[in-house]
This record gives sequence, structure tokens and C-alpha cells, in this order.
Amino acid sequence: MSGVVVLILRLLLAAGLYVFLAWAFLSLWQDLRRTSQLLASRKVPPIGLQMVTGDGSSAQIFFARPDATIGRDPANEVHLEDHAVSARHARFSYHHGQWWVEDLNSTNGTYLNSERLKIPAVVMTGDVVRCGEVTFTVSLPGETVQSDQNSAETVRIENPQQ
Amino acid sequence: MNRFASAREKQGQLLLLAGILLFLASLILTLAPAARERSWSAELRWTHWFGFFVWAIVFGLAHVLTCRRLPDADALLLPVVSFLSGWGLLTIYRLIPGFGIRQTIWLLIGGSILLLGIRIAPELHFLRRYKYIWLTGGLVLTALTLAFGTNPAGDGLRLWLGCCGVYLQPSEPLKFLFIVFLAAYFAERMPLKLRPLTLLLPTFIVMSIALLLLIVQRDLGTASIFIFLYTAILYVASGKKRVLTISLAGLALAGLAGYQLFDVVRLRVDAWLNPWLDPAGRSFQIVQSLMAVANGGTLGRGIGLGSPGLVPVAISDFTFAAMAEETGLAGIVALLLLFGLLINRGFHIALHAPDNYRRLLASGLTAHLGAQAILIMGGNIRLLPLTGVTLPFVSYGGSSLLTSFVAALILLIISSQPEQEPAALAKPDPYLLLSGGLILGLIALALTSGWWSIWRGPTLLDRTDNARRTIADRYVHRGSLLDRHEAPINITTGDSGDYLRTYVYPDLGPITGYTNAVFGQSGLEASLDPYLRGLQGNPARLIWWDHLLYGQPPPGLDIRLSLDLELQANSDSALGNHKGAVVLMNAATGEILAMASHPTFDPNRLDEQADSLLNDPDSPLLNRAAQALYPPGQALGLFYRAAGWEGIPEREPALQWNDRLGFYTAPPLRLPVSETSTPDELLRVSPVQMTLAAAALSNGGIRPSPRLATAINTPEQGWVILPALSEPVAVFASSQVIALTDELILEGRPCWLWSGTGGAGTNQVSWVLGGTLPDWQGTPTTVVVLLEEDNPELARQIAIFLLDRSIAR
Repeated sequence: MSGVVVLILRLLLAAGLYVFLAWAFLSLWQDLRRTSQLLASRKVPPIGLQMVTGDGSSAQIFFARPDATIGRDPANEVHLEDHAVSARHARFSYHHGQWWVEDLNSTNGTYLNSERLKIPAVVMTGDVVRCGEVTFTVSLPGETVQSDQNSAETVRIENPQQ
Repeated sequence: MNRFASAREKQGQLLLLAGILLFLASLILTLAPAARERSWSAELRWTHWFGFFVWAIVFGLAHVLTCRRLPDADALLLPVVSFLSGWGLLTIYRLIPGFGIRQTIWLLIGGSILLLGIRIAPELHFLRRYKYIWLTGGLVLTALTLAFGTNPAGDGLRLWLGCCGVYLQPSEPLKFLFIVFLAAYFAERMPLKLRPLTLLLPTFIVMSIALLLLIVQRDLGTASIFIFLYTAILYVASGKKRVLTISLAGLALAGLAGYQLFDVVRLRVDAWLNPWLDPAGRSFQIVQSLMAVANGGTLGRGIGLGSPGLVPVAISDFTFAAMAEETGLAGIVALLLLFGLLINRGFHIALHAPDNYRRLLASGLTAHLGAQAILIMGGNIRLLPLTGVTLPFVSYGGSSLLTSFVAALILLIISSQPEQEPAALAKPDPYLLLSGGLILGLIALALTSGWWSIWRGPTLLDRTDNARRTIADRYVHRGSLLDRHEAPINITTGDSGDYLRTYVYPDLGPITGYTNAVFGQSGLEASLDPYLRGLQGNPARLIWWDHLLYGQPPPGLDIRLSLDLELQANSDSALGNHKGAVVLMNAATGEILAMASHPTFDPNRLDEQADSLLNDPDSPLLNRAAQALYPPGQALGLFYRAAGWEGIPEREPALQWNDRLGFYTAPPLRLPVSETSTPDELLRVSPVQMTLAAAALSNGGIRPSPRLATAINTPEQGWVILPALSEPVAVFASSQVIALTDELILEGRPCWLWSGTGGAGTNQVSWVLGGTLPDWQGTPTTVVVLLEEDNPELARQIAIFLLDRSIAR
């Protein structure tokens, strides 16, 4: 009789061991799912740039990719025919939930709202970025979204199913 | 915030589950003695509950504190660490309760450090800043063991510093400090350029000092861990594959040099490559460990129900084998998965670390825990040579437990960096390769464990040096040997746990033999062991069930022998102090009614007399009736006359007759018998062979098939007859037998008798063959008396006396 009781306990223990492990692996998988959903929910808000060149012509540029460079070289996403613009002049990039602009060590410098950029800076709707003779007016999808960026992010984190 | 709360919830659930499992394990350990003795009145085990409660308090507090202080820390690390250390603690309690209490105190100390560390949650820069001081401290401590080293066990390697019952093994913290140093040193110089002089020289010097210390101490397992750690951290820091190649070549060279220089290394490597050559000596540990793993099987014997104490130093070096025996392959795979989780979390934490220093530190600590675990577990199951390192978190040893806890603490702190982005990673390959290698190691361990526990298990357990059989003898009732009237000969007395084999008729010692924990088995006890032990004759289902429940066979079966204790007593008294043998047989059925071999011995007193018995020139342990061969001499004349010859026949027909008489065939008895003569050599015959041939003269010319064990008492069908192992053979013509026995008739008795001597000089023996006449209406009986002396008259008297007794019976 004692042997049977102990056998039942032994079977429970063996099963419990694997419940523990299954639970641990389930939690790893949930972690993975949460991370992937988090990354998937981090869509890049498309940035709109109202471009005005030195000769007065203007164009509207949109891009949704998280990284774009500006320069005279045709390899750049935004290709400018302006002698004051360096081959690789400036970069717009999206990380840490913000759009950033940085100067790529250009000869004539990149200006954000008339101030020369020394370090990467966050841009918002209405900001004006100037490279050589060309100006870019930034427009992000909605002022409200822009200002509520952080809270919107948090909501998504809290309810990954949404 | 929700994400982090859920991680802590997960941690809480897993810790609770770990607590429930350890509670279950403790309960099994408490009840184990009852299951082993198969009754509730056994003395139960309680001491380990102290360990369980300390464990519960330590990790309960750790959970509460992580929730408050390290809300973002990894959710799985603490549960895995807690479960490993709890499992290890219970294993230690199970092996040696006194050591369990000491380990509990170490758990309390290590736990306090863990709790304090979580409470303060220090920035780890203080480790980084004073790296040289830390490392020098560790080296100095280790160096101190050269002068003041002791070994808590008394003798052996002097690797500990100790005072007042507390011992520290400095090489354990040294490993940790070495990792801290290398991580700090390399992190400052990232990205690394492998310049031997400027970059590597300082680390080489440090490592050489450490290695030199360890080699002088003969702590070679730890030395190999150091080489591995250096390689791993340098590889992770530099991302250069050639680090691995060079280090591998260096390790091979070091191994080769170690094999040439150190006896320890040679011994361990030889025991690893060829454990079966010297299983009682150099490879005793590894062979015993493999048997423990084999005894575990799939589900294990149950905590407290195996015999892991049979493996030397199970408590530290062979904890893994002990766990394998009691939790089986199921437990082992779970243990390996736990270490796999630990390695996974460790490298996950490393990759998410915010700077290179913490990343290298986390990688180094994880590699250390993983590699050391694989090294010792592999050593336990002969995947790798045995090294005396500990199983992190699990095996006995305060220094190791403390160091492992500090490593876990640091990993927890590194993992708790919510707002910081992971540092840029130059090369992901080293992390993939290192963690992949460690995981592969765990898979290899699982497969090897399966090989020993399932595939090779039965063969291993049948080995004679498996002491579990003798332990089972103390707990399982062994079947009795009974005479033909079911009077006891060899029986088992006492209670479960203290069963003792008692020999009621000790003069039968050379024939029925003994079953002894030290000296093994002999005689019928050996040849009928499967029945007596309950492994044969019982239903397969019962054997399976008892093995599952107790890891032991079911109660053994009683065996009825053909011996008649009264005739046996007559034979023994008649033979007295003369060296020789007597066999009394029912000539028709071949049943042996009495078998005496003198001098005899008392198997009840084997423990005290074994030495003198083994060295006795008169060989009292030998069964002279079946295991000794004697020159037949004039005794053969009887058979030649029965065959119709006058005088001595030619060689060829004589050989044919010897064969027909069964002199070249071992008598098929369930009893150890000697090899027979071959036709190429001078004929020698055992008394049993002689009796069988002589029985033909009392049985109308038919040589019967011999029988000694006649029936077994099975639980389902009662007494079941054990059939004879051969068929009777017609040897002589019936008419010739009648004619011859008429000539040899004994005055006034229905018997014939033939006597003669064999051999010459000091080897001279006297034979007397006799039996009832073929037309005798009672039980046809044959007797053979052999004396190792030239005394045919005495042999004759004994034979006549025994014939009279058996006829009267």
C-alpha cells in the first residue's frame, strides 16, 4: 500500500516537472509573441516633406521607410541637383518612436529652423529643414497623433490583441 | 507597466509550481522508508523538511523583493535557479541528512546574499572598477590553500580553507572573479584587435598564474574550466573564430601533457576509455555511477528508494548519478531542460545587455554555469572524462552554491534594464555558436543517459558487482530450500530490512551453498537464484509491478529438493570426519535423496570463517559430489563386466563406453557441476556421474536423468514440477544387468555391491558402488561412496549402512 501511495506521488512529481517546464517554455513563447507584436505595432508613421528648391519649384515627398538620405548623389532617396548640397548631405530616420534628422558631415551644413545641426534632432510637424538652397517643411500624420505618440504606443503595448 | 507586472506574475506562478513540486518530492522522501519496507510502521524521514522551509522562505522573499526592486528582471531565471537548488538540496538530504543540514545553512547564507543583492540592486561598476583588486584577492586566497589547505573529508586534495567547521574552496570564487576581470578588461578595449603583446599578454599572465595554482593543487577540472572560460569570453569579445581553433589546439596539447605528467589525468582518462577493464579498482566510481543510471530506468526508483549511496562521493561529484537513479530518464531530461533554460536566459540577458561590459559578464557567467554542468554530468555518464567539478546550484558544497547564487544575482540585475536599448552588436556569431554548442552538449547528455538507462540498463544491472542485488536481499523475502518432505534446509528469517539467510541444516553447505552480501553465492543458492529471488517463476506482471513500486523483485519462490533430510543426516554421520562424498539416488527417477561432501562448513558462520575456509587445503567449500573429479580405477570394471567384457577392453570401445555411461557429459542438474574429462585425457569421474552410471544396474540397464530441484511453489498455481533436464538412456541390456547383479549380491540383502580403488599414492581414492537389485519391488536405490583415502572397507560399511537405511525408509 505504501508503495502505491509513493508511486502515485512519484508519477505526480514526474508529470509536475514537465508542467513546470511546459509553463516555462510557454512563457518563452509568449515573450516571443509579445516582442514580435510590439515590433509589428511599431509602424513607421509616414513623414511628409514639402520640398522647395532654390528656383522656387516645389514638390511633396512622402516616405514610410524608416531611413532616407538626402544628397546630390543619385543613390540617395532624395536626390537634389543643387551645388550647395553635398553628395550625402543629411538623413531622416525613425527610431525611438520619433523622426530624427541628422547632418551627414556636409560641407555647407544642415539647418533645422535656421539653426545648424550638430547632433541628430527630433523633427515635428512644421519644422523646416534646409540643405543648401533647398528647404523641407516637415508634416507628420496629424499633430494630435504626433503629440500623443507615447501614449498611443503604451495603449498598444497594454492590449497587444488590439 | 503591465508587461513587467506580467513577467513578475509569471515568476510567481513558476516559483509556486516549483514549491509544489519540491513539496511533493519532500513528501516522497518522507514516505520512502515505508515504501521500501512495504509497511507503514517504518521509521519515516523528516529532517529534510527544514531544508524545504528554508528554501521556501528564501525564494518567497526573493520573489517579493524582485517585484519591488527589479520589476523588469527576467521572469524565468529565478524559478529555474530555485528549482535546481531545491532539487539539489533534497538530493543531498536524501544521501546524507547531516550534509543536508549544512547545505541548508549554505543555502541560507547564499540566499541572504541574493536577497541583499536584489534589495540593493547595485550598479555593477564597482566590480568593474576594482577588477585587479578582486582578481588579486581571489588568486591570493587560492594561493593560501597551498600553505593552509585542508580537506573537510580528511584526506585527498587540499583545496579548502577552513576553520571551525566552515570550509571555503577558493577556486570557486576565483572562477567568478576571473570572469569579472576578463569581461571588464575586454570591454574597455572593444572593438578588440587581437594583438598578442598589448592586448592578450596581461590576461595570459593572469590566467597562467591561476592555472599554475590549480595545477600545483591538482585541481585539474577547475583548470580546464578556466581555459574554457578564457576562450569563451575572448571569442565573444573578439568574434574571431581563430580564437577557438588556437584554444582547441592548446586544450588538446594541455590534455596530452597532462596525460603524460599527471597520474590523476592518466587514471581518469583510462577509466573513461576502458571502464570495463578494472571495474573494481580505477574505474569503480564510473562503473558504479553507470549502474546507478541504469537502475533509474525511465521513471526512476523514486526519491529515497534507490541506492545512490553505492556510488562513491555521490554527494558532490556524482549528484547527477544519484538524481538519475531516483528520478530516472524522465527526471534527467527535465534537469537538462532546466539547464537549457538557464543557458537560454543567460544568453538572452547577455544580448539585451545595455553595454559591452555587462554583455561579456553575462555571457561569461552563463558559459561558466553551462559548461561546468555539462562537464560534470558528462563525467558521470562517461560522455567525458571525470573531472571533480560541482554541478552548479545542485551538488553539495557551500563555495559552489554561493558562487552560483552570485552569478544568478548578477544575471538578474543585468536583465533588469528596462529603459536602455541593447548595445550594438558587432558580431552575433559567437553567441549563436556558444549557446548552440552548450545546447548540443545537453542533447548529447540526454542521449547518453538514455543509452545507459534504457538500452544498456538490463546488462548493467545483471553485473555481479551491482550491490543492489544484495540490498534487495535484505528487503525482499528470499525463497526457501526445502527437502522432499518440505522440511526447511535454507530459509530467510527476520523482518524486511533485516532479512537474514539461515541455514537450518548446515552440513549441506557445500551442496546448497550460501548467499552472502560479501562473498556472493554458491551451490544451489547460486544456480537457483532466479527462482529464489523471485525473478523467475513469478508472473511477468508481478515482477514488472514490484520493480515499478519498489525497484525490487517480488518475494522469492520456495523450491522443493529431492533430498531426504533423514537419509542426508545418515550420510553425513556415516561419512563423519573422512574426506569424501556420498550420493544416494532413486535409481528409477534419478532423484538425489542424499548428497554429502566432507569436510563441510557452516554457512551461518561464513562471515567470520571465510578467510580460513578459502585457504583451507581440504577445500571445504567444494562440493566433492558434483564439482570434483576422481580417477575411477577399478570401479570401471563393474561397467565393463555389465557390458559383457572379460578384463580390460581395447581403447576405442572403452572410450565409447565411457561416453555411453555419461562420463563425458556434465550431469544436467540445476547445480554447479565440474567440467568433465575429455576422451583425450585420463578419465576422471565425479561421484554424481558415477551414481548415474551405477543406477543403470538397479534400473534394468537404464541410466536415469538426475534431479535435485524438483518443484517450485508459485503464487498462482501452487507447486509446479521442475522437469528433468535430460532423458533417461538405455545403457545395458536388461538380462546382462540381472545376471551381473546376481553375481554381486550382498548376503541377506536385496542389494549388489562393487568396490575398488582408483588413482595411486597420495591421490588414491576408494570407490564403492551399490544398489538394490533390478527386480527389487521397493524403491530402486543406488549409492556411491567415495573416500579420498585407501580404505575400501570403510566405504563398504558406509554404503551398506546407507542401503539398509534407505530400504528401511
